[in-house]
Amino acid sequence: MANDPMKQFKIEPIIDGPMIGPIDTSFTNSSLWMVLATVGVIIFFALATSRKLVPGRMQSLGELCYEFIADMLRSTTGPEAMKFFPYVFTLFFFILFANFFGMIPWSFTSTSHIAVTAALAFFTVGMVLVFGLIKNGFRFFKIFAPAGLPLVMYILIIPIEIISFLSRPITLSVRLFANMTAGHVMLKIFATFIAFLVAKGGIWLGVAIFPILGTMAIVALEFLVATLQAFVFAILTCVYLNDVYHVDH
Amino acid sequence: MSDKNGNSSTPQDPEKLKDLEERIAAAKSRHAGEEEIEVDNSLLGMAWRLSTELVVTVLVGCALGLGIDTVLDTKPWFIILGLCLGTAAALRNVFRLVARMEEDEKRKQEAKNQS
Repeated sequence: MANDPMKQFKIEPIIDGPMIGPIDTSFTNSSLWMVLATVGVIIFFALATSRKLVPGRMQSLGELCYEFIADMLRSTTGPEAMKFFPYVFTLFFFILFANFFGMIPWSFTSTSHIAVTAALAFFTVGMVLVFGLIKNGFRFFKIFAPAGLPLVMYILIIPIEIISFLSRPITLSVRLFANMTAGHVMLKIFATFIAFLVAKGGIWLGVAIFPILGTMAIVALEFLVATLQAFVFAILTCVYLNDVYHVDH
Repeated sequence: MSDKNGNSSTPQDPEKLKDLEERIAAAKSRHAGEEEIEVDNSLLGMAWRLSTELVVTVLVGCALGLGIDTVLDTKPWFIILGLCLGTAAALRNVFRLVARMEEDEKRKQEAKNQS
């Protein structure tokens, strides 16, 4: 009986790759499930884009997805940010599929590793920084110094703003990683509890109903969290992209 | 009869169309309560955003302070400053988020009142 709740997060190489400097290029179970998530998204949207005038079921779903992300981007960042639509769309659906595929028994949740979420988050914030600098030049640094304050306040405000900017990629990655990890650990512990009670037998068999109900509730909650965290990641990407276009906010 | 997209289009009699419209209206009213669930979900998301923001920003401030301290060998002064500034930044972020939430809420309320 596998009763170590952390064992499910163990990275195991499937195909060994050579070491390039300090980087191990092995194809791991985490990589496999990331590839599967990407393939899943591609298959889903291949089915959902039939380009008919009157949409069928799948196409309605596809159009709904498009509308959802497009609305989010337009309302939080503005219509001029539609350039970044492909990025936000890809990000949302990659995280969503990775989270959902992690809910399949015996699968691997690649988003439960901070390395994966941090890569996504740092790329996002890095992109904001690069495009902000390209678009606004050094005026971009005005986001650290809101206009219309007494001069003394800037000594305080600028470090505060810099800290809050630097915390963005970290909050972004920690939130997704912590939610996925915590949920899966909780699920594993509850499920192990059922096995313990059943193994004890006798009156404990009856008591096992509580962790069974608990596990069911947590599975439902985990599906909610999977969607919600993908949504939060995408909407925060939109909020951060706002800085590219509106330097003086 | 079918157009170039392969969709058959038969001329509808108005009676049928009216019936369909009624059915659509009925179906829509059945789903009217679902919007509230969506609001709850985004509240849950907000709670997560607020809590991680609060914790992580303080830690980032401390980490920056510790970094400066190790480089300049001035322990523990910058880590204390980092803690203070980090806490301030965390609170500022949280206040900003809540202000945006309230704005959204107000806009939603206005939209509801208009319709």
